[in-house]
Amino acid sequence: MSEIIKIGLPSKGRLKDESLKVFRKNKLFIKDSKRNYLSEIKNFHTNEIIFSHAREIIERLADNSLDLGISGYDLLKESLPGIQKNIKIFSRLNFGFARLVVAVPNDWIDVQTIADLEEISFEFKDRNTGKLRVATKYPNLTNDFLLSKGLTQYKIVNSLGSTEVYPFTDQSEIITDITSTGGTLKANKLRILKDGDILSSSACILVSKKSLRDRYKKITIKKLLNKIKKKG
Amino acid sequence: MKSKKYSEALLNLFKKKGFKVKEFENIIESKIIIERSGELFKKSLLSFEDDNGKSFSLRPDLTISACLDYIKNVKKGVYKYAYFDQAYRRTFGKESLVRNQLGCEIIGSTNLQLNLGIISLIDNSLKRVTKNKTTIKLNDINIFYSLVDSLKLPLRWRLRLKRHFWRPEYFNELILRLSTNSDLQKNVFELDKKSYLKMKKLNRGVTIAGRKISEILNRFQKKIKEPRSNIDGKRIAKIINEFLKINCSFKDARNELKKFEIKNNLNLKLNNFDIFNLKYKNSDIIFSTNIGRNVEYYTGLVFEIYKKSKNLNLASGGSYDSLMQTLGATTKVPAIGGAINYDNLLKL
Repeated sequence: MSEIIKIGLPSKGRLKDESLKVFRKNKLFIKDSKRNYLSEIKNFHTNEIIFSHAREIIERLADNSLDLGISGYDLLKESLPGIQKNIKIFSRLNFGFARLVVAVPNDWIDVQTIADLEEISFEFKDRNTGKLRVATKYPNLTNDFLLSKGLTQYKIVNSLGSTEVYPFTDQSEIITDITSTGGTLKANKLRILKDGDILSSSACILVSKKSLRDRYKKITIKKLLNKIKKKG
Repeated sequence: MKSKKYSEALLNLFKKKGFKVKEFENIIESKIIIERSGELFKKSLLSFEDDNGKSFSLRPDLTISACLDYIKNVKKGVYKYAYFDQAYRRTFGKESLVRNQLGCEIIGSTNLQLNLGIISLIDNSLKRVTKNKTTIKLNDINIFYSLVDSLKLPLRWRLRLKRHFWRPEYFNELILRLSTNSDLQKNVFELDKKSYLKMKKLNRGVTIAGRKISEILNRFQKKIKEPRSNIDGKRIAKIINEFLKINCSFKDARNELKKFEIKNNLNLKLNNFDIFNLKYKNSDIIFSTNIGRNVEYYTGLVFEIYKKSKNLNLASGGSYDSLMQTLGATTKVPAIGGAINYDNLLKL
């Protein structure tokens, strides 16, 4: 088994910048990584840093091609149970805060709660115009939440981006999306339902459970996590 | 082998009563299921896509397969299906993806006695094959709907309770909300009144995310007219919980319901239910208002059969008069069916 500790970090945006800060704050210096997707911590055991998409970090931790990584709690919870069971959350970090929420058009003034939505969904069904469509990048979390709240008559529309415009371009009727301030939803004439909070997320340090079963890796990972813990 | 012995013997008894043993198509179009049941059932489907992006699934349930076969091949008249085959569902625990399903269905019959005969057929067959004594539990879920209609509840709440009767866990949450008045949104109405007055001036035919302004305004008005604060939720929740505990000998069922009706000052319209006219030779029949709540498509009579001494469920079923239409039949086709609990049968 390889003795190199492989660490996955987000490859772009604020999540990348804040992740790098976590290491810097703890005096773990990462080689310049502005363009390169591969790097390393200069002052730690043999290691490799791989910059990847935050979703991919979750997958790679699950299949153990990464030992440790930083990614979003939302993305972990969205992944399949078979993936989640292979990953341990070491700690939640103090950045990347966001909420996954259910939002409806502002002008649906008669819809304030999921219970209202449940009634509307039957109106769509009874009119035979098809099911109420819910656009989302998080189909699994959305399904679990809506079904637990009594909504069954709807159809998921998988979205890859700009989900906020879906209700106004006849691609869906409502959406679930990740928001930090609610500003983008508001700008797109959408309103969060009173009981529409699906999940509160933040960045997390995640560890592959398989790596923790390897004696050498476990010791090295723990050393690294202890350093981060001091000033996480 | 015990399993083979039981399945062959049961199928032979079904065949003797005019049921035809059928094999169904393994693959069905996912759209058929999703359009009917929404995302709830989609989660259980083992699906894949063809080159054109069309989604297909391994058959998840043989009652649905029988219905689709009737729509495609039989089209009209009475057809009596029997089957013993495999259904495939995604599992979330240790259950197997493959489920053996043994059952029978009568599709297209309006003859009440013929339809109800399916209960005695399954019961008698089980007794004969397993040499065990059985108990039948009966219910008609329309009695619950009749109860809900006789309660002083806003239409929205009545529909909600009926729609979720088949999901006991969520139904209990609804009852809790009803008893605690916890979903009162009075203050929110005040806030939205401003938008309401503004929207009243707009063209009511304009559509916003699939809903006309007129629809939105009408529903908003309806909500204002039916405030939750006027409901005696605690009392109503108590009545519903009391109703769902009725469990008595079938011959006493009518009297028990009558007593419940008088005590709570309700009108359940008991004369409308054929279930009370049933004549069974088997004296061990229990009436229970709380059975048949695990299948979404049941519309009336439901039954469960148990091994008498161990209270082990051996079979269950019910009538499903709306399922055919939602799967594509052009007219309403009455149907009733039952499935043997195959795993429990092997425990005998």
